[in-house]
Amino acid sequence: MSTCIIGKGLPRVDAVPKVTGAAQYTVDLKMPGLLVGKILRSPHAHARIKSIDTSAAEQLKGVLAVITAKDVPDGLFSFYQWLADKNILCGETVRYIGDEVAAVAAVDDDTAEEAVSLIKVDYELLPAVFDVHAALEPGAPLVHDDKESNSTWSVERLFGDPDKALAECDFVVEGTYVTHAQAHTCLETSNCIAKWDEKDRLTIWTNAQAPHTQRQEVARILGIPRRNVRVINSYMGGGFGSKLVMDVKLPIASVLSRLTGRPVRIVNTRSEEFTTGKTRYPYTMSLKTGAMKDGRIVVRDLTVIGDAGAYHDKGPATINFSSMMFGTLYDVPNIRFQAQMVYTNKEMGTAFRGFGNPQLTFATESQLDELAHKMGIDPLDLRLRNSNCSMGTTSCGAEICGCAMTECMEAASEAIEWSQKKARPSDGTLRGVGLANMVHTGGGGRFYGYNSAEAFIKLSDEGTVTLITSALDMGQGSHTTMAQIAAEELGVSLSDINVLSHDTELTPYDLGSWGSRATFMDGNAVQAAARDARAALAEAAAEMLEADPADIVIEESKVWVKGSSEKHDLFEIVDHAVNAHGIPISGTGQFVDKLPEGYTIPTAFAKNIPCFSFGTQAVEVEVDPETGQVRVLRVVAAHETGTTINQTMSEGQIEGSIAQGIGFALMERLVRQEGKVQNDRFLDYKIPNIGDMPEIETILVESVGTKGPFGAKGIGEPGLVPTAPAIANAVFDAIGVRFHELPITRDMVLEALKETR
Amino acid sequence: MKQELLITVNGDEHHLLVDTRRTLLDVLRDDLGLTGTKNGCGAGECGACTVLLDGEPVNSCLTLAHEAAGRDVLTIEGLSSGGVLHPVQQAFVSQGAIQCGFCTPGMVMTTKALLDRNPDPTREEILAGLRGNLCRCTGYVKIVEAVEVAQCLLAEEELV
Ligand code: FES
Ligand code: FES
Repeated sequence: MSTCIIGKGLPRVDAVPKVTGAAQYTVDLKMPGLLVGKILRSPHAHARIKSIDTSAAEQLKGVLAVITAKDVPDGLFSFYQWLADKNILCGETVRYIGDEVAAVAAVDDDTAEEAVSLIKVDYELLPAVFDVHAALEPGAPLVHDDKESNSTWSVERLFGDPDKALAECDFVVEGTYVTHAQAHTCLETSNCIAKWDEKDRLTIWTNAQAPHTQRQEVARILGIPRRNVRVINSYMGGGFGSKLVMDVKLPIASVLSRLTGRPVRIVNTRSEEFTTGKTRYPYTMSLKTGAMKDGRIVVRDLTVIGDAGAYHDKGPATINFSSMMFGTLYDVPNIRFQAQMVYTNKEMGTAFRGFGNPQLTFATESQLDELAHKMGIDPLDLRLRNSNCSMGTTSCGAEICGCAMTECMEAASEAIEWSQKKARPSDGTLRGVGLANMVHTGGGGRFYGYNSAEAFIKLSDEGTVTLITSALDMGQGSHTTMAQIAAEELGVSLSDINVLSHDTELTPYDLGSWGSRATFMDGNAVQAAARDARAALAEAAAEMLEADPADIVIEESKVWVKGSSEKHDLFEIVDHAVNAHGIPISGTGQFVDKLPEGYTIPTAFAKNIPCFSFGTQAVEVEVDPETGQVRVLRVVAAHETGTTINQTMSEGQIEGSIAQGIGFALMERLVRQEGKVQNDRFLDYKIPNIGDMPEIETILVESVGTKGPFGAKGIGEPGLVPTAPAIANAVFDAIGVRFHELPITRDMVLEALKETR
Repeated sequence: MKQELLITVNGDEHHLLVDTRRTLLDVLRDDLGLTGTKNGCGAGECGACTVLLDGEPVNSCLTLAHEAAGRDVLTIEGLSSGGVLHPVQQAFVSQGAIQCGFCTPGMVMTTKALLDRNPDPTREEILAGLRGNLCRCTGYVKIVEAVEVAQCLLAEEELV
């Protein structure tokens, strides 16, 4: 396919406003009468609220409202409403350190802070539970005392006969793998402004990855009609899953605004972001893998205990997604997946780039190396023998259309010089190489029971193309991707396109930017809209140029009749159509991802995924025996893009993912004592800085078969999925020690080295 | 307690009445409306709030507004002139060193200061110079490339 705009590493359409400081983020907005909202949070991990005295706060000059549970709707909220378990403000019980208890609106920050400090709450402490295993013990304190146990959600998936396969296979390895809470640490913290208008409609400005579903969530919890809520996004300072589900600061700000008649802003401090902004779900995974002598993996059996924290949020959806990826990787015929999410008195988890898959892949891909070791074969070889194939349905029902797993493995292992490095004699330095594969969604999911997107395009006579899409850009670059797709299909220059995605009043209903979904879903809708607009344009041009519409060529904002050398400016045609004939030029596009035959939500399993994406990362590490530090020297990341829409941005997604993967593997963990986060600042919770990064080589592997726009797949999440197990495998290669827990800290390495000496 | 403050920001003189406890970051963002400078932590740990004070990079969240009295402040808004991007900005755009952009103003200002001080830094010096600026999106690969490209662009400018 010859393309003008697809595939090129063109600069992002929003780069200039971002580099000049002109880009306004939600936290930059100003409006008349804006008040500062602040939340009083629980200092206790588990306690009963005996009384709250707000009188001193109310009397403070500059305070306009003080609210507690009695001032807010008392319904409960969760992502799945039928699992609702979270109050807007806690009335009777607080369940983690940070739980929302009361809130104030005041004229400025200082006053709001002082007012919060003047609220007196009398608590009766309750026994708390912080560890999932303790939480499952009979007689453990109940995080929600109306529930029978702390086990909140369980999933069981069975394909084939794992027990029989385990008994019959030639090799079995088993082990338990543990991951901990990782924080998203978007540089812009979660924040919002809420304001009611004279028609009783509520507008919320916030940094949301899914403004339409958050609009519904706000309406649901406040008990107001959905049509009365509007959500407006601005530029967003990162998302990574943290801004997918509504945060209760939205309804809190809304109630404060209602009471004061003024707009109210609430902004998380960095400490609040660390302690209440939600995390990646910690998993404890007991896994068995069995293989035959020929290297064929025949069975995998996994039990997961996930730490939900104090409330459900995205826990059930996360664990479900993990099961789908578990079933699909390597197409193992006998699979058992058993999982439960468990309440503890801690900050809850939520979606985080990779959505339960990085945890899972740490277990499966670490164990694959253990298996290779036991079998005495090269881990790369074992993987090649089990590679997913490009077409067809897996044992668990996943429909694979387009898969370049083998190509990814070959590219990554070659670039890291796998065989040379594996054969390298020890030179005294503790160096090693490791690799890991992954499968992930490259197009969101059908988890809602549907998956669709819509887009609109209008061409104006003054020379702009306005693209209205719901592909929210949280930094990953979807505005540019959508603009490129529209520009390519329509035949206009990229710079002629103006993308709007920020306002639920304007954009079509959409499930949001998550799960590497936007390129595949919204991209398809945008392509359809552009095709539609192009047809209208060709009609108008044909009329003006007295030609057949089929002979009209449109490229880079020029229009001509095939064979003719006379080129017209595209907007001249639009101008003519609009102003001489009154014919508007626009396009509408929809993409409805058709559900497979017999689809039902409970049985769909891996059929929920419209498009799978595969990838391999190979890394080289060096371990410092003195300090225990694992230094990642080099990462080669070969990931499938289907068709690359934007080379530079795809690389950027993978590089950024790898940085988060290195953090997950080696550095990042929220440390708690009695439920209290000890590292609620960047000084103590380290994320990779510029000096921590290895050399990264990104290989974008194109493949055919997917139904994405121009054949593209989403690339937002995959890059983080295999990084940690690749590092753990390289560490094993370097020092012969297998770590079953992340992050692999210096202390762990030193301890392990001591034991081996 | 409020005190008079005479401060030059991006070449404009401002005469303000500012509480002595307030930070330069707050005054830039709230009083002068220069929201290009970002607050990522408010504690000197992320670099998003970096501005140049008499040419030296400072974390404006840790700098009291009154410390900038009588001095020259340069923020991201003052870097491009007449619609032409500064070479550091051009390099960040062309290399794809920007994703969400929230760290970008701080990164760009730190880079400018680094290259002003040392027009020909080694890779190690670049890494050392940008250590205090956190980015959660890019993995820094393209940021390093952007600094190196900016270095070349500035060197070319010198020649003309
Ligand atoms: S906001 Fe100043 S260093 Fe983070
Ligand atoms: S681009 Fe988002 S933090 Fe750097």
